[in-house]
Amino acid sequence: MSAVGTRVRDRLAADPLWRATRLLEIPRGRAVVSVLWGALSLGSSVGLAAVAAWLIARASQMPDVGAVSIAVVAVRAFGIGRGVARYLERLASHDLALRGMTALRTNLYELLARGRGEALARVRRGDLLARVGADVDAVGDVVVRAFIPSGVAVVVSLLSVGIVGVFLPAAGLVLAACLVLAGVVSPWLASRASRATEARSAQVRAEMSARTLEVLEHAGPLQVAGALDGRTAALRSTDRDLAAATDAGARVSATAAALQSLAIGLAVLGSLLLGIPAVAAGTLAPVELSVIVLVPLAAFEGASALPAAAIQVRRSRESARRIMEILDEAGAPDRAAPGPGPGEPADDRMTATGLAAGWGERPCVVGVDLAVPRGGTVAVLGPSGVGKTTLLATLAGLLPALGGRCSHPGDAALVAEDGHVFETSVLENLRVARGDLTEAEAMVALERVGLAPWVDGLPDGVATPLGPDGATVSGGERRRLLVARALVSSAPWLLVDEPAEHLEAATADELLQTLVDEARASHRGLVVATHRLSGLGALDEVVVLGQDEQQGTTTDAAAVPHGPRPATVTVRGTHDELLRTDPDHAWALAQETLGPTVPQAGPAAR
Amino acid sequence: MRPLDPRLLRYARSARAYVILTTVLGLVVAVLVVAQALLIARILAPAVSGTLGPSPLVAVAGLVGLLAAVVAARALATWTQERFALRAAARTIAELRESVVQHAARLGPRWIASGRGPEVATLATRGLDDLEPYLVRYLPQLLLAATVTPLGILVVFGLDWVSAVIIVVTIPLVPIFMILVGHLTAGAAARRLAVVQRLGSQVLDLLTGLPTLRAFGREIGPQARVRALGEANRRATMGTLRIAFLSGMVLELLTTLSVAVVAVGIGLRLLRGEGIDLEAGLAVLILAPEVYLPLRQVGAQFHASTDGLAAAEQAFEVLETPARPRGTAPCPPLRGSTVAVEGVSVRAGDRAATAPADLSFSFTVPDDGSRGRVVALTGPSGSGKSTAALVLLALHDPDEGRVSVRAADGSVVDLRDLDPRTWWSQITWVPQRPALAPGRLRDVVRDEREARDEDVERAARLSGLDAVVASLPDGWDTVVGRGGSGLSVGQRQRVALAQALLDDPARSPVVVLDEPTAHLDARGEQAVLESVRAWRDAGRTVLVVAHRASLVALADDVVSVWSQVTEPAGRTAGPASRNAPTGATEPSGPAGSGPVPANGTSA
Repeated sequence: MSAVGTRVRDRLAADPLWRATRLLEIPRGRAVVSVLWGALSLGSSVGLAAVAAWLIARASQMPDVGAVSIAVVAVRAFGIGRGVARYLERLASHDLALRGMTALRTNLYELLARGRGEALARVRRGDLLARVGADVDAVGDVVVRAFIPSGVAVVVSLLSVGIVGVFLPAAGLVLAACLVLAGVVSPWLASRASRATEARSAQVRAEMSARTLEVLEHAGPLQVAGALDGRTAALRSTDRDLAAATDAGARVSATAAALQSLAIGLAVLGSLLLGIPAVAAGTLAPVELSVIVLVPLAAFEGASALPAAAIQVRRSRESARRIMEILDEAGAPDRAAPGPGPGEPADDRMTATGLAAGWGERPCVVGVDLAVPRGGTVAVLGPSGVGKTTLLATLAGLLPALGGRCSHPGDAALVAEDGHVFETSVLENLRVARGDLTEAEAMVALERVGLAPWVDGLPDGVATPLGPDGATVSGGERRRLLVARALVSSAPWLLVDEPAEHLEAATADELLQTLVDEARASHRGLVVATHRLSGLGALDEVVVLGQDEQQGTTTDAAAVPHGPRPATVTVRGTHDELLRTDPDHAWALAQETLGPTVPQAGPAAR
Repeated sequence: MRPLDPRLLRYARSARAYVILTTVLGLVVAVLVVAQALLIARILAPAVSGTLGPSPLVAVAGLVGLLAAVVAARALATWTQERFALRAAARTIAELRESVVQHAARLGPRWIASGRGPEVATLATRGLDDLEPYLVRYLPQLLLAATVTPLGILVVFGLDWVSAVIIVVTIPLVPIFMILVGHLTAGAAARRLAVVQRLGSQVLDLLTGLPTLRAFGREIGPQARVRALGEANRRATMGTLRIAFLSGMVLELLTTLSVAVVAVGIGLRLLRGEGIDLEAGLAVLILAPEVYLPLRQVGAQFHASTDGLAAAEQAFEVLETPARPRGTAPCPPLRGSTVAVEGVSVRAGDRAATAPADLSFSFTVPDDGSRGRVVALTGPSGSGKSTAALVLLALHDPDEGRVSVRAADGSVVDLRDLDPRTWWSQITWVPQRPALAPGRLRDVVRDEREARDEDVERAARLSGLDAVVASLPDGWDTVVGRGGSGLSVGQRQRVALAQALLDDPARSPVVVLDEPTAHLDARGEQAVLESVRAWRDAGRTVLVVAHRASLVALADDVVSVWSQVTEPAGRTAGPASRNAPTGATEPSGPAGSGPVPANGTSA
């Protein structure tokens, strides 16, 4: 017995929905109250059917009014009770679900905040976050759409079986069997059908989506190339496959629906076939016969909600699985790597020795050596996607090193390219970097990044709230705000990703100079990742990342399935040295200086 | 919003057959519901009154058999409904998707890229799925409300007119009360919904910003705020729900209470022996909830209906956006023809500017196989160079001006009047983001052209694709995904250049190239230059949207493209110059706007 118990416990412990449900922290008392209101609501329907059947049958025997007066009152009470109890049940169960979602979100936040940075960064990167929101909702939905309805269905079914069984036990058994058909077999079929359909259609659906987007995105080129009709025909054929996948599942789900209808009919027939002889035999009063025949007509409402509940459980389990995967990753210990995380600092410098950085197992940057003293400034250069961001995250200690070592004494503040602008005031957004920042200090920092006129233009200055994810802030303003964050932070090491993005050339150069000045003045180390070359003369060292000779072009590491060779340091030195020795460097700088072509350039050049 | 939009039936043929099937099934179900109620009452009444005689089961055997048949028929009807509903929904969605995608393509790349475009993509891939619950759940109940409910009332009227009157009086109350409650609560609900959404987005905001907090070592602490926001969210949501669920309560209350009133009425009249017998009473008692059931279901599926109809409405809006009818005149052979762009202006959709503004130039395609010409379109970012290329490609109509083709025999025809397919078949377009078919790299480059291996390899050498091939582990056999996924943007561009190099110069004597702006290094630039030279030397006329000086240097003709601010309200600089990328040199052309013809733009 205890072996079985252990097995059940193990299976539950492995079930993602069960684990996620525990994070919902559902209070048992409130759950019971919700189920009771629901049972009272559907029970009113059953009660109405039972008492009304009794009332009419008894009335036909023309007794005194007094004999049926209680039944009359009861029928009316049930008539009112159903709607009211249903209202209270919906409120109670939704309250429960919302409490659960809050608990789940809080737990999720806490576990992610305390967990490994890598899992977190992956959530942000892979656009998983939008899904996390939806997944939390889906897990919360399981309460309203599956748990409470199942509880209600069980209570009401037992009640109905009880009523019928009291009068005629055999009919009660038939009703119970029919309820199992409608409340267990049918939901099982429905869930199976929906799983089969989704499994079969998932790939076709992705294909359909890709084809649709292809036609929409490339409508022009496809038309000019005369390929549009072909692609539309291909989309049609994919849609046919999708319909076929739906169709296969439809047969089973139709059977599930038909079982619902059949179960009610069978229960009524059973009551009639068992009840009529029982009346003749004198074991059942004639009035009671009408009760056991009419109760089944009202008894299936609870069970009929269960196919949808079963499907919800399955979907919620999928969502729970995704949530638990992220949490498991966040909670897992760091991978055993040659140089895990930031090692013990050897001296008062930020150092990297043979550092390999990457997401997951495969490094995208290898063999990086760095030594940045306090007040030192280094630029990491390279085409987009080469791994500059990954390198910075590893230097900051947010990603474990995949090889080699890196270390720094004290905190490092990373200004990520996709740094988040919170839906709060400008000041609070700067306080993210330092909690005790005063308004005056904030103004100084904003002035230094050239945002003073912008803040002056805001209705409440630094107290002005910004829209969700900085939607009311332009790309350039956002970039400067993020850099201002780095300036106000008290960390001795600043790692800034692409400070020049979305900025005019002159502004970009000024901003870089501001960062360099700050590093030198307050004796902080600065590492800047950029793909812009102008202004780099102000820095101590320029480190160029790239693939080796063959593969000169940029490669979006995420887009290549087999992957390019990892990038490494191809050239390094001061900006001026590189201009002299590296033709690519000089060419790239010339491109920036030239900018877009000017009208007279063409003809004049010939 | 109408519960069943007739346009749905017009645009989706599958929906038509389905509505007919559902209506027929609705009628069948209505008859079966009534038959079931009457049969149960007919069997039950004598059994309760004790008038069945000595062998009661034998006496009702026929009726019970009939009842069993009705039960089986109802199950079968349910099966059929569900079975075909899902299929019809899948087909209806597919039909609408295809129409929407096709029509959007007709409306052109600019329409797709502007405001509505992303919406159309969402609608076509996911949004239309909202039609499934509408078609599978809501519509059948709506049709049942139109069949079961009236038939049920008629039968009840025949059995007991007093009960029928009660039902007839209460049924209109259902929608009236629901609308009343809806109206009374709409304002409060909307206000609270806004609060809910704001709170919800704040929680998501904190989760989104977690990496940033962590980058500054400040991630611990805000979870108290997550909980507080969640609590506030819950209280606000519950406020909304307390109101929103009222209409549901009214619905339940009215329908159940009416059944109770009917039951009590029958009971009391039976008691007094007032013109109703037990059988009729039982039949009415069974029928009354069935009459209300479809109405309750329609109410319960209300959201499925609004979501589905909104999705359909969006699809109809796209389909009803008028597209200019295509021209029918066949395009003359472009070799020897002169293509003239005459005073073309296009209003920019998202800003108060015309880009390009009043653009004029022309070029003649040589017909003797001699060296072709390179025409470069230049101008600051946002001046309308790419739009000008779209106009020339007949993918966008100019708001002013026209493009005309003067054939070798002197006849002139407007681009609008040409059958675009005959125009496109003579042009090769290399866009910034090429549409590559999936497959092995070698086949992708060929793209169904007849080309020898050495030609493919020559094209690869010129376009710099050979370096890409050498860097890939599987070389020419590398499998490329749809749209070139698996290749970087720069690599895709080289594939497109190689493709265009394989084209037969005799078949498509004009090449339009939108020069890549990003992801181009020294070697990439060299590949573009080599390709343009190769096209030119093959006798093709090359029209390039140029961003770099090197490409302009290669051009025989340079055309400057300008934008013009249409609303000069207080602004000195037009958006075009404001949007100039970093390092832009201000154009030194004449102040204001207007075409600046370079040395003799017509060849």
